[in-house]
Amino acid sequence: MKGYNGIILEIDLTNETINKKQIPEDDLKNYIGGRGLGMKLLYDNLPEPGTDPLSPDNPILFMPGPFSGFPIPSSSRTCVVTKSPRTSPLNKKYDHSSTVSYSNMGGFVGPEIRFAGYDGLLVKGKAKKPVYISIEDDNVKIISAERYWGMGTDKFDKYFVEDLGDRRFEYFYIGPAGENLVPYASVINTAARAAGRGGVGCVMGSKNLKAVAVKGSGMPPVANHKKYLDLLEKARLSFKEDSSSKASWRESGTAGALVYSSKKGSQAVKNYSEGTFEGIEKIGAKASRKQIWKRDFACFSCALSCKKSGYAKGAYGVIVHDAPEYETGTMLGANLMIDDLDGLSKLIFVGDDYGMDIISAGNTIGFLMECYDKGLINKDFLDGIDLKWGSVDASLQMLHKIGKMEGIGKLAAQGVKPLAEKIGKGSEKFAIQVKGHELAAWNIPAHEKTGISYVTANRGGCHLNGGDISEQDGIVMMDSLGACAFAEGWYKDELHYRHFLSALTGTEWSEKEFDIAGERIFNLEKMMNYREGFNKNDDILPERFYSHKFTMGPKKGAVVDRNEFAGRLDKYYEERGWDVKTSRPTDDKLEELGLGFLSTI
Amino acid sequence: MNLTTNQSRRDFLRALAIGAGGMAVIGNLGFIFPQETPNGEIKAIVVDFAICTGCRTCETVCSANNHKVEVNGELLKGLGNPDLSNIKVWHYNPDVDIPVTCFLCEDAPCIEACPVEPDSVTGRKALYRDETFHTITNDLDRCIGCEKCSKACREKSGGVIFPNKKTGKPERMCTLCGGDPQCVKYCPYGALQYLTITPEIQLRNTSPDSIAEKMIEFYYPEI
Repeated sequence: MKGYNGIILEIDLTNETINKKQIPEDDLKNYIGGRGLGMKLLYDNLPEPGTDPLSPDNPILFMPGPFSGFPIPSSSRTCVVTKSPRTSPLNKKYDHSSTVSYSNMGGFVGPEIRFAGYDGLLVKGKAKKPVYISIEDDNVKIISAERYWGMGTDKFDKYFVEDLGDRRFEYFYIGPAGENLVPYASVINTAARAAGRGGVGCVMGSKNLKAVAVKGSGMPPVANHKKYLDLLEKARLSFKEDSSSKASWRESGTAGALVYSSKKGSQAVKNYSEGTFEGIEKIGAKASRKQIWKRDFACFSCALSCKKSGYAKGAYGVIVHDAPEYETGTMLGANLMIDDLDGLSKLIFVGDDYGMDIISAGNTIGFLMECYDKGLINKDFLDGIDLKWGSVDASLQMLHKIGKMEGIGKLAAQGVKPLAEKIGKGSEKFAIQVKGHELAAWNIPAHEKTGISYVTANRGGCHLNGGDISEQDGIVMMDSLGACAFAEGWYKDELHYRHFLSALTGTEWSEKEFDIAGERIFNLEKMMNYREGFNKNDDILPERFYSHKFTMGPKKGAVVDRNEFAGRLDKYYEERGWDVKTSRPTDDKLEELGLGFLSTI
Repeated sequence: MNLTTNQSRRDFLRALAIGAGGMAVIGNLGFIFPQETPNGEIKAIVVDFAICTGCRTCETVCSANNHKVEVNGELLKGLGNPDLSNIKVWHYNPDVDIPVTCFLCEDAPCIEACPVEPDSVTGRKALYRDETFHTITNDLDRCIGCEKCSKACREKSGGVIFPNKKTGKPERMCTLCGGDPQCVKYCPYGALQYLTITPEIQLRNTSPDSIAEKMIEFYYPEI
């Protein structure tokens, strides 16, 4: 099919075999690429439900989409797909029941995979010793990475490419967190771009896979070359126009939301007990631009340049890192009551240097801070760390413990759900997670749609899921095309994504067919989760949101109404065409979406 | 120091010019395409290294424009495969991105290194300078694929010439897109400009590694 290379590069690290597998055209048509095709390949390649996510049998997929490689503005994203080492259902059908997992990262790696001649990489098995995979078009090798094992991501990012001797390589990797099997370890590229969530770095580490380096010289074919050029030109002109949205990405990145969210009362503050942070201006975009940001960066073919380089030089040494962003600045900043910009930058750098999910790490540290503050745990429990609210030093110590899986770090690395189970004393009420996956920087009271996003997300608590069905299915499609959500606003009307897809593939995509594709993929994910034992009982918010009111800020007194939220959720299931009692997609719905083969579940 | 003010930018660039000994000003560390205008002024394409975000749009449009394809009898721009582009953006850690392409060096080391005898009529070796645009051009029929030009460029200039993998013949020399440079046109950030500079200024050339070193030292001292 035009628009695609039509090949998945399959690497078995146990048997050290390399295979180029043809992708069935129906799979391309029905699951698109990126997240969608990744899920279908995950379904096909998992040997059985309940597979241990850290076993060699759990495949990990690195999936660009059909846009990747073509300079369609901002189509730089790659989706990492696997079975989650983070989540678990109330009704554990299997010892290792868990949800699907997926995480997107920007940069240049997805396009390079496509230049090399593939539509994705599928890695299974486990290498005997640490290795990296090198891909140069047809030439694929598994090479020892023993000398890099233990190396932080920043140092690795710098020296690996020098060792390769060719700066044209794009590469992604894990840090010590992934190597040590921290469950919320991430996959990193260019030292700061992360496929952060869902424990994808942990799965990569469980395979002894340190890195993948890619270099390609080709280009996938296009069906309607003239239409493609025409759309490309129009898109570029559209991005050339000045707009407040474009200016905001350039000026602030997502850090623009730090002050915005706090002022709106929608920020995760003090372990979600508040929605507003008094010190937010000290760590917001304006302060960052003034004190630490030097340059703006963009991913492949992107006109927005939301990435920054922050040069922090103070009590914590000299660091250069993309910090803060909204999520990182909130979870390791506002959430921990930290308003020291240098300290925050250092914390974010250390989190990325270990290669761990900063959202989960920040959420976990905040949870422990609250437990410590309330006297539910003491210094002994924390290996002597005086984990007070607002302490950069204590937070740094915790990050090191987690990254190294040392002492209290071993349990903290599991996340807030197991921590609350261990600590008890009612702490599970403020363990802010869904299905075992920590919630992110957007708080819920007075913003119930965010709550829907968190409880219905197929990878566990996720702020990027979308608050209603149309949003969710649309996001699935972006994740499957290789498109960046930040540029979505420009892809409307004659520039809608489906027109590009039509030009690339030569098949006319109607709006309805486009929406159905997103719905299909979302339902496939849902059924894979249902198969593991997840159902309506897992789509629940932590008790805090129903019983604890904000004490300050514009949303003072806000709390989630239990019945109102339950009603919203039921309405969501109905509209989805799912059984309201279990949340399982009905057989009719599955049939309608071409997922009839899942109706036996 | 943030470089959003013109004054601080000028100071920065003047400092670089002095430090590098005879480098041209206006942020043109090595990325110069001299083109004489009718009244003898030299116009050059200039990279503002303070602005480049590393997006590589320049690579895709260079590739598309310089590698057109025939589709249904019509000659159209290519898809934009960056591997084919003449301009390349080199990424470094700590974060700087350095776009570099053929500098059309006045004392072109590549032409100097070419071992092919100058033609008795035209005076051209296999590698020669095109009179209209001053771009470095290769005569494929006379070129012997010895790769000496590529080596000379790497050693004495920006290292922008890539020998063809099969023939060894030099590729990736900037064509100026026939006088309408596409990289300048399509850079989403205006990091590339087409400017008139005064003829006295010596134009020198530097490898991306050296430029990156200077940029890193400037933006992130003591890292």
